[in-house]
Amino acid sequence: MNSLVLASTAGNIVVWIVWIVAGFACLASAVAVISFSNPFYSALALIGNLASLAVLYLLLSAEFVAAAQVLVYAGAVVVMFLFVIAYVGPRREEPWSGGPSWKALGAVLAAGALLVEIVLAVSLAAGGSLGHDHTAGANFGSPAYIGQLFLTDHLLAFEITSIVLLIAAVGGVILGSHTKKAAA
Amino acid sequence: MNGPATTWYLALAAFLFGIGALGVLVRRNPLIVLLSLELMLNGGNLALIAFSRHFANGSGQIFGLAVMAVAAAEVCVGLGLVVAINRRNLALDVDRLSELRG
Amino acid sequence: MTYGSWICLLSPFVAAVLIMFGGTNLSRRVAAWIATTGVFVAFGGAIWAFLGVHAQPGQVGEYTRAWTWLQSGSFSVNLELLVDPLSTVMMLIVAGVGGLIVLYSIGYMDGDPEERRYFAYIAFFVFSMLMLVEGGNLLMLLVGWGLVGLSSYLLIGFWHEKPSAIQAAKKAFVMNAFGDATMALALFILIFHTQSLSFGALSAPLSGSTANWIALGLLGGAAAKSAQIPLHTWLPDAMEGPTPVSALIHAATMVTAGVYLIARTHAIFEQARTIELIAAGIGALTLLVAGFIALVQTDIKRVIAYSTMSQIGYMFLAVGVGGYANGMFHLMTHAFFKALLFMTAGLAIHALAGEQDIRNMRGLGKVMPFTKWCFLAGALALVGIPPFSGFFSKDPIIASTLNIGWYGYVFYACGLIGAFLTGLYTFRLWFLVFPGEPSPFVREHYHDHHGREGAWTMLVPVGVLAVLATVGGWIQWAPHWEPFTKWLEPVAPTLAAAVPTSTQETVTSILTVLVGAAGIALAWAIYAEKRVEIPAMPAAQRLLENKFYFDELYDRIFYAPAAAIANSLRTEIEEPVILQGGTDLGQTALDAGGAVRRIQTGVLRTYVFFLAAGAAVLVLAFLIAK
Repeated sequence: MNSLVLASTAGNIVVWIVWIVAGFACLASAVAVISFSNPFYSALALIGNLASLAVLYLLLSAEFVAAAQVLVYAGAVVVMFLFVIAYVGPRREEPWSGGPSWKALGAVLAAGALLVEIVLAVSLAAGGSLGHDHTAGANFGSPAYIGQLFLTDHLLAFEITSIVLLIAAVGGVILGSHTKKAAA
Repeated sequence: MNGPATTWYLALAAFLFGIGALGVLVRRNPLIVLLSLELMLNGGNLALIAFSRHFANGSGQIFGLAVMAVAAAEVCVGLGLVVAINRRNLALDVDRLSELRG
Repeated sequence: MTYGSWICLLSPFVAAVLIMFGGTNLSRRVAAWIATTGVFVAFGGAIWAFLGVHAQPGQVGEYTRAWTWLQSGSFSVNLELLVDPLSTVMMLIVAGVGGLIVLYSIGYMDGDPEERRYFAYIAFFVFSMLMLVEGGNLLMLLVGWGLVGLSSYLLIGFWHEKPSAIQAAKKAFVMNAFGDATMALALFILIFHTQSLSFGALSAPLSGSTANWIALGLLGGAAAKSAQIPLHTWLPDAMEGPTPVSALIHAATMVTAGVYLIARTHAIFEQARTIELIAAGIGALTLLVAGFIALVQTDIKRVIAYSTMSQIGYMFLAVGVGGYANGMFHLMTHAFFKALLFMTAGLAIHALAGEQDIRNMRGLGKVMPFTKWCFLAGALALVGIPPFSGFFSKDPIIASTLNIGWYGYVFYACGLIGAFLTGLYTFRLWFLVFPGEPSPFVREHYHDHHGREGAWTMLVPVGVLAVLATVGGWIQWAPHWEPFTKWLEPVAPTLAAAVPTSTQETVTSILTVLVGAAGIALAWAIYAEKRVEIPAMPAAQRLLENKFYFDELYDRIFYAPAAAIANSLRTEIEEPVILQGGTDLGQTALDAGGAVRRIQTGVLRTYVFFLAAGAAVLVLAFLIAK
């Protein structure tokens, strides 16, 4: 019994450490995304954010989602971003320059309020029901599990998502195509 | 479950969302806005996955995957827009791109 | 007999429909003959129905039902006709005299560009009138009543390029509509109390005031349709229509519908005796007023129109005191001689290319002898000189007033004075127009029709009616021989109070003839021999020429306030509120839109800011709610 408790406590401590590191990395990279003046650096910071999130997903027994996060988000979406940023060319923007305008102030306030409210809402209002975790099966979060859900309970979501992706691809092509007359 | 309780994950998700919202509100470069938008989406995703683990219900993860797919689609279209704007030699500044006004 | 009644009713309708759908594919001649044939076939049907009732033991007639028309709870109304002594008499008159007049129209309206429309209308009118008289319940009667009013409007305004004709048509229709409204109200009250519109419902025991209201409503309708005071002003103006229309509608048939109505619904009038006597009073008043006005008219058709009004006053007097058979008999003879008078006047007008002013027509008899003699026959019948038909029908009416009370004596006096006036104005007309040397106007404008005074289609009906005006009264000579009254007895028995003694009858007859002859003599003295001068009474002259100022009075009472209200509504309410309000509403919407438009700045960050702020507020509300 003691060894089990010790083992679980040790496991627990490891999880906590990983959590704190990943969480810190997540927030730091998020702040970096919105702070850099060079969009290239912002995109790179986003990669860090996504990676830390993947770690967090692993902690939450969502292996497939973590893998998908790295593959899709960090692998495809951010690469797309980098392509376009490179295409658009270098430009610098001073996000915090000129002192805090009333717009920026209002923005900070709004975001802060939103944040506080969400935290409060979640922790207070949902208090009782967040007491006990439910036990998850061994294959919870595995690809087989996800695949089974996708093809049985959530088949409609699966199909519709594929249609949305198709439409987005078509839209992207149309938007990016050369126009007949010269650019205005 | 080992480690922090679900509430911690939710708080982290909230922070992420807030930072993303701040970025959308403050930055003028549409590319950065889109990146901040990604942050917000990710914050939501984290909350989803956390709840999914909490209730041991796989639907949350499914939803998270769907959100990811939709986010990818949206980025595709958004970046297409940015490319089109750039091709017309307009300024990449959301404050200046205000012709759709009443 | 019931087949006869359906044929009688539907044949003119079929003719009207055929003409309507034939349109310009039919030649005008063909359309005219379709209408005429339709009405004569109706006459055949009427004879069949009459013979059927005659052969029936008891001779009460019967109902014939097509289907149930309305049904609502315990109230139901059938599409049915009633073939009984009263309706067969009316059917014969309407179809017979109508047929003759439609035949006459062929000659009269020849050459008119819209002849087909005329014949469609007139066939439709005959159908409506037949529906009125054949209707087996009050609703059918009302339907016929309304359609007859419509046909009258269409035919008065036939020459619609003439604004006076349009106005006259509107006037007739509006006044008739007033009568229709009172009649409808009476029917509503009847339904309310008896849940039925059959003729039998009128005999149901009703409280005194209920019966009074119903009878009053019916009287209103009758007075409007028959142009009795106070709803009489439309009849002289209705002379704007073609002369055959005046003959058919405004002499022989439609205007007598009121008399028929009272005879048919006599059960309720007997329950509301006061109203019945009011009807008699209205008749007496009208016959006097119309007689006086006719003395100064210069338009040949207007004289005859006022004469019609006066004679219908006699009929109202008759049915008002309870002598329904007397009224119906006078209706019949009046149809003969009044249609005759109109048609001969029409011959004169036609020959003089539309001239209607009698001051220009002196000496017409020399160039139109046939017309002269026919007119004379009609005039003598109208005045009531034996052996012409009017004598047999008018005297019993006057005599029947003697036994009903003190007002009976007043009616008696009115009847006699009316007879004097009838003689005077009728022969004023005759002496001014026919005898003597033709005036220069006549010499210049008279044109005959291939050597004759008119087409044969015009002369034959006039001749037939002249014969009927002469001998038509020989069917009854009260009190010695009364087949007509006996025929109507099963359905409209004369009230005991309206039966005079034979002494009274004889004395009245003699008096009436004397008085009528006195009128003729006076007319002869003034207008033919010029021995007597009309005394100058400018005030009276003006009063008569302005028709006792009824039109001006109605103008002041009804039209002017209505027009004032309408104008004030237009300037106070319609223009500022409705019209301007609509414009203002649109302007307000535009302004509001303009204000809202300013939110669309186009700047993305403003939108996002509002999004975030809104979301924050919502979550706050959610928190508070929890």
